[in-house]
This record gives sequence, C-alpha cells and structure tokens, in this order.
Amino acid sequence: MATASEDAASPPRRATGRVRQTGHESFLTYAGGRWWKISALLAFALIALYIFVPLPRQHFGSSWLGYTLGTIGALLILWLTLLGVRKRAITPGRWSLKAWTSAHVWLGLCLVVVGTLHTGFDLGWNVHTLAWTLMMIVIVSGMVGIALYAAVPQALSANRFDAEGAITEKQMIEALRSLDRQLHEAAQPLDRENAALVESSLAEDPFAGNVWNRLTGRYPRCATRAATVALREGRAFRPRVAGAPLDKVDALLTRKQGMLDRMRRHLKLKSWLQAWLYVHVPVTFALIAALSAHIVSVFFYW
Amino acid sequence: MSFLVRQIALKSDGSEIVRAATVEGAELTIGRDSSCGIHLPDLAVDPRHAVVRRLGDERLTIESIGEQPFELNGRSATRGEIELSAGAELGFGGHRIQVSRDSETGFPDFAVRRVEAVSESAGEHDLGSVYTLKGLLPGKRMSAWTFAILVLVAFLAFPVWSYLTYQPLALHKDARRPAGWHADMAWSSGHLSDAHAKLGGDCQACHVDAFVAVRDNACMTCHTDDAHQHIADRPGQTAVERLTLARGTPTGFAGLQRSVALLFNRPPGRCVECHTEHTGAGAMPATRQKFCTDCHAGMKTRLPDTTIGDAADFGTNHPEFRPAIVVDPAPEQPVLRRVAWTPALRENDGLKFTHKDHLSKTNGVAQMVLRRPRVYRGEGSLDCKDCHKLDSTGVRYEPVAMEKACQTCHSLTFDQVDGTFRTLPHGKPAQVVADLRAFYREGGPPRPANLSGLARRKPGDAAMQASAADYARAVRFYPTRSEQAIAAVFSKGGMCYDCHVVTRTGATATGGFAVENVAQNGRYYHSGWFSHKDHTRSDCVACHTKAPTSNDATDLLVPGMDGPGGCRTCHVGESGTHLASVKVRDPVDSGCAMCHAFHMDNGPPWEPASRRKRKAHIAEADRTPRRPGLPSQMALR
Repeated sequence: MATASEDAASPPRRATGRVRQTGHESFLTYAGGRWWKISALLAFALIALYIFVPLPRQHFGSSWLGYTLGTIGALLILWLTLLGVRKRAITPGRWSLKAWTSAHVWLGLCLVVVGTLHTGFDLGWNVHTLAWTLMMIVIVSGMVGIALYAAVPQALSANRFDAEGAITEKQMIEALRSLDRQLHEAAQPLDRENAALVESSLAEDPFAGNVWNRLTGRYPRCATRAATVALREGRAFRPRVAGAPLDKVDALLTRKQGMLDRMRRHLKLKSWLQAWLYVHVPVTFALIAALSAHIVSVFFYW
Repeated sequence: MSFLVRQIALKSDGSEIVRAATVEGAELTIGRDSSCGIHLPDLAVDPRHAVVRRLGDERLTIESIGEQPFELNGRSATRGEIELSAGAELGFGGHRIQVSRDSETGFPDFAVRRVEAVSESAGEHDLGSVYTLKGLLPGKRMSAWTFAILVLVAFLAFPVWSYLTYQPLALHKDARRPAGWHADMAWSSGHLSDAHAKLGGDCQACHVDAFVAVRDNACMTCHTDDAHQHIADRPGQTAVERLTLARGTPTGFAGLQRSVALLFNRPPGRCVECHTEHTGAGAMPATRQKFCTDCHAGMKTRLPDTTIGDAADFGTNHPEFRPAIVVDPAPEQPVLRRVAWTPALRENDGLKFTHKDHLSKTNGVAQMVLRRPRVYRGEGSLDCKDCHKLDSTGVRYEPVAMEKACQTCHSLTFDQVDGTFRTLPHGKPAQVVADLRAFYREGGPPRPANLSGLARRKPGDAAMQASAADYARAVRFYPTRSEQAIAAVFSKGGMCYDCHVVTRTGATATGGFAVENVAQNGRYYHSGWFSHKDHTRSDCVACHTKAPTSNDATDLLVPGMDGPGGCRTCHVGESGTHLASVKVRDPVDSGCAMCHAFHMDNGPPWEPASRRKRKAHIAEADRTPRRPGLPSQMALR
C-alpha cells in the first residue's frame, strides 16, 4: 500500500482508476488455457466412449469402462487432494503453484464427468452414492470458491478505498482505537447514563460476532449503534448549546459507526473468501474415507 | 489531615511513572470529575462516585455518593471501613486503588492504577488471525478428521463387523440373519430381483467369503433341485469345464479382460456371470445375447461332441428349427420326433382334412356357410377361428373338438323321433355300432298283410307258406341291415371315413372296424418359446402360408425359420442384423432370450405383471433406460 501514501498529495482518485498489472495471468487461463483444454478433451473422450462402447446399461460400474473410469476418478481425487500439500511447498517454473492450481481446478471440474459416468447414472441409498455425493459437494464448493475468488477481491479493494486512499487491516484497528480514545476523552464531562452508553460502545469488541454475523455482515446487537440512537433520543428534546460535549460525542460515534461498518464489510468479504474452504477441505477427507469404503466394499463383497 | 494520592501510569517499556499529590482536608472524593481528590478519567465511574473519611487515626470509611457501588477487596459494596495497617484494594471501573499507610508521613496512601484499556479495540489483536474465521468455526483439520472417521466407522468398520458377526451362517440354506437392518446393507449397489427379495439383508447368503467373488456353491445352497441343466456333467468332464471349453480362450481385448478378471480373483464360468443381481426390484433381467453367443457361436469347433447347432445371431446365424412332429398317433403315447424343418415336411396325426376346400370362398363349403348366417355371422367362407380356438393363456390353440368345430356341418344324426334327432356318439365306435344295431332291431320288419286272419285266401297253403317263409326270412335277415349300415358308416363314403383312418382290425364290438387314434400336436417348438398372443396383429396365413392351398392333412402348416411365413420374415438379430437374401419389411429385434428361456414348461414363461402386458420383446437388460438412451445400438447397425 505504499502507493496510497505516495498518492496522498495528488488529487484523490477513484478506486476504478487503478492501473492493472498487465503481466497478470489468471490460474483459469494459465498457459493459454492448457488445462481447460486438456480437461475438456478428456471429458468429451470419456463421454464418447460411454455413448458408443456397447456395454450393459446396468452395473455399468463393473464393466471394463466402468472400472477404468473408477480408477481414473480415484487417482484424480487423490492427486487433487495433494494441492493442499503442494501449496505448502512453493516451487517456481513449469510445475509452479499456478500450474498446479490451474490443473486442480480444471481436472477437478472434469471429475464431474468421470465420477458421474462411473456411476452409470445408477444412484441409490448406499455407500457408493455417498462417495459420489460427497465428491459433488466438494466440486460444487470448489466452483463456489472460484466464483468468489473472481468476484470478491474487487469488492474487497473497493471497500478499502476511500478519498484518503486505501486502508490496511492494521490501519482499520488503529483508526478504531484512535476514535475510541477520542470518544473516551470527549465523554468525560457526561453524566452517568450517557457515559455508560459511550462506555458500552468502547467495551464492544469490534471482532465480536458469530459466523452468521460475519457472513451476513449484520450485527443486530451492535452497542455503538445502540449508543448513538439512545444519545440522540435523549438529546432530541434538549436545547442545543454550542460546544456541548454531547455534540462531539455524537459526531465521534457517527465516525466510529462508519469505520465499524467498513471493517465489518471487510470481514464479511474475507469470510466469504474463506468459508467455502471450510466445506471443501473437510468434505474432501470425508470423500476419501467414503471412497475407501466404496472400494473396499466392492472387493469385500466381490 | 491529609491524603497522599499517587497516580501510577505504565510506560511502553514497562516502567512506572508516579505522580504524587497530597490532598488536604477531612474528606477525599473519588470520581470522574476533575475536582475530585482522586480524579479517575473513566466513563464507568460517576462524576462524584465515593467519599473517603478518616475515622480516627487508624481507620477510614468509604461510602458511595450516589447508588453506584465500588469494589472493596474484590467485593461490590456501597460503603465500608478500612483498617489502615491492614490496607485494602478499591476498584472503580477500570481503575484499582491500593490503600495503605505511607510509612514516612503516616498519611493514608492511595496508589491509583489504570488496569483496563480505555476500549476493547485498544487491546492486543493478532492481525494474522483476527480477520479470519479462525475460532468461529471448527477447524478444517478437526472437522476433516471427524468426518473421515465417522464415514469410516459407519460405512467400513460397522459393515465389516456385521459380516463377521453372521459369518457362521454362510452356506446354510435355512440359517438366515435376523430380519431388519444390517450395516453391510449400505454396501448394496441396488435392490435384489423379486426372486431373491426374500434374502433381504442377508448379504452373506451369496457373498460368503470376504474378497472372494460369489461362487456357484452359494447358489446351489438353495437351488439344489431347480438349477437348470444348461450343461450336464459328462464322464470325465464337469459342467463348468465344458462351459469354459465352450467359451473358448478369449483373445485380444477380451483376453485382456479375462486375465484382469483372473488377476482380481473372478474366475469364469460362474452362475452370476449371466445371472446378474442388484439390478433393481423386479424380475431378473433377461440374459443378454452376448452371454449366449460367447459359447454358442461356433461352439462345434470348441466342443466337438455337442449335439447343439451353432448359433450366433437369429438374423444371420441360427440352426434350422426342429419341430417335434407326430410320427405315430398311438392311442396312449403318440410318438413325436424332432426333425429339421423343411417345406416338404409331413406329419401324420391320424386325421384327414382339407384346409384348401374348407377355406374356399366358392365351393360347397362356402355355400353351406353362406346359408347358415346364424352360425357363421353371414360371412362368405370359413375362417380359421371358426374351428381353431385359443386356449385360456392365449399362447397356443386348443385341440380342435369335433363336436364344436365339425359337427355343425358334419352331422352324425341318423334318426328322428317326433322332431328329436338321434345322433351317433363321436369318438365311441363301439357305441356307434351298438346304436345302429339297436336301431335296426327295434320293432322288426312289418308283418305282411296276407299273414293276417283277414287275408283273402287263395286255395291251398302254398301262398301262406310263401308269405310265412318271406317273413321268416325277413326276420332272420333283419340284423344284416344294421351290419350294412355299420359298414357304410365306417367305409369310404361314410361319416367316419371322411375324416378318420379306418382299418378292419377292430373287435366284434366295433363291427370289426378300428378308427385310428388322432394326436393333435399342441406345440411344435419345445426348445424355443412362441406365443400366439404376441402375434395377434398378424393374419394367420401370414405365417401359416400353406393353409389356403393344402388339401392334405399331413402337410405341416407350421412355419419354419426361413421361407414364406418363416420367423425371419419379421424377426432380425438382437442388433437388427439379417441375411442379405431375406427381405424384412417391419423388423423386430430379437435376442436369444426372446424365444429361449430356462425352466421352460408348457405354460408361458413366468413374467411379472408389468411386463406381461407389454408387447415389446427386447431383453430387459437392454430396455431399461438406466443408461440414458444413447445411440449405441444405432451406431452398430
């Protein structure tokens, strides 16, 4: 965010005016779309095999093509899971993390075709369909993740930008702390009730709230807002006196409210970027367990 | 009277800054207001919160000014006393005040410290995690392990436990698991067929050993009697050996598949290779043609001692039909023999019949039909169904009954008494003979008039004697007329002889005549299945083409495979194949299972009600739209 401070002197610019990095290449189109082409080719080849190879319509999974698809699918699932290992060991070059991610995304989408053809569209209430269902949950959550990665970062940047440039996460806390200190000072002359209202705002943890609050960005029991409302209610019928401490407190509370809203929007967007992984990753391991049970059960009752 | 107030603040390096002040007076107020002796800039503290007074030299009292309490030695209070020598701790909002006696001056000493941050946001925040969902959701690692273990326990460990629990029951026909749910049912890939539905949750009825593919001994636990003798054991060769021999050694891709199957412990020749299960509730699906032709296509070369002809596909490669025809209509057990069908094949069922004459639209038969509109619905000629009636199953025809089919024209009436007709009994030659003899014996010949007392007399007895002699001769010879009638009935031109083969080898009771037995053949094809019900839309003569031209009952009117009216006129192979020489107008795809079934008896093959109504004939396995209807069949055609 060095640019933000450099540009502070120049006229404020709008968030949309940012210069994009020209060298950027999305993992979706990595290497000229190599991996989506490979995946599409694989998917079409498998669909063509499924259609044109004369095989029984029942128990398709136990035909030679069914076993082949199953083996490809199982190996693919294990390899896709290895992204979690790979991303912790960063290496450059041909098999860069971006290459891996690109392959992970496109081959993962291809797995819909591989896995579903392997079922032969024969689904039921059993461990086999459980594995397929978990696989689909993982893939769909991954698709949600990609969609969020495509949409949310822009919103995140836009939220952090204002007339004074971008604000970092650390600066958000600092701003709140500063406002709290000012509020504390300004509220000293207040009577007990009003002081207690300001105190309730100060005592509120800006990071409080459960997952639901985070994901929706709605905090119905926000003490700062309650304090602002209560102070204004009490002030509404009193004569205005210039320089009254309540005016300053009210202005400070309004500013704090604005800062808090922005931070909560930031938290909401960030939590969206993370939440899909809380489905994607644990269900992957459930899937590997179900896959193991599926394979063992097939050979157990061979 | 003074109080010593020391405000202690912490520097960022941890050291303390102490600002000491002495407050004169008998009282010391504590509050947020800057005029207070102890000024606490704390919003949780009242502007004037409490007041401290000296009570003698050793003691202090502290009392709330408003109703707001404070903390005295950790407990909430609105008033209290403090022993200076013992000291005390006061708490106001985010501040702590240590009360003691100053050792130098002897004044009460109040050490004031801020212990809580001004606001919650001022506290320490770990920037690395505070903006994430950490702590709000169960950790990914934690839930990954939990889910994985739950799945493994529920769908792997628990089913294996079920298997181990009931393993001793395996291969016992009547030992079944208790009804209800068992964990390994979660492994079932689909419902069992109706025939095996009663096995229900007893997986081990078939899956006897872990990691061992289902073997025939599991099937034979129950199917001790009714397992089909598809291939019989022969001396020195078991059925399975013959079966594998008949299949031959697969080559190419099939050989690869076989070796992979062997690698994974799936030997060939097991019952379940054809009889697939877990394909959904309903009838077991018909076996696909491939499973038949794997062996039967070119089997002679691999199994030279077989008596069965090679068959690869009905449309192109199928042995000629071998109808079972009557060669001797013996009374008790007619002799049937299976011979290859030819257009010139003849069958002797003991009857004489002229299909051509009876189906004619112009001859006497047609005239008779025309004159009897109440019997024949006013039509101009006989129809097949006037004589041939379908049986109750609709599959085959009932034997033609003389009384119903023939007698309406070919009457056996011989006498009329006051408007009532007397009829010879059909099928009972001895009764016929007896009836005729009785007919001619009744009453005797009329007595000549000149034998009566009223006769005009000629001189001499000679005339009377002549009359008496005539009469006596008539009486004597009266029965001879019955014998003539009997002979006439049984001989050429007589009622019986028209339709039956009559010989003179009979007993006295039948006047020396014998009627040869009639054996109507109800079913010609015993290895294959045919149902007239499925062919009701076709005209009879579309298949029985010779019927309108045959005037000899020994002509075999049953169609064969080829030729006019043969099955191949409509039926083509499972994938639509047919010989180039055959012209098929409306092809019907016909796999092996359309006509061939195991457990075949005289009744129609067992079918579930849902299928019985259907006219479609293609094997169930290829009909079920489980695999979305994709043009694999068309592609191969």
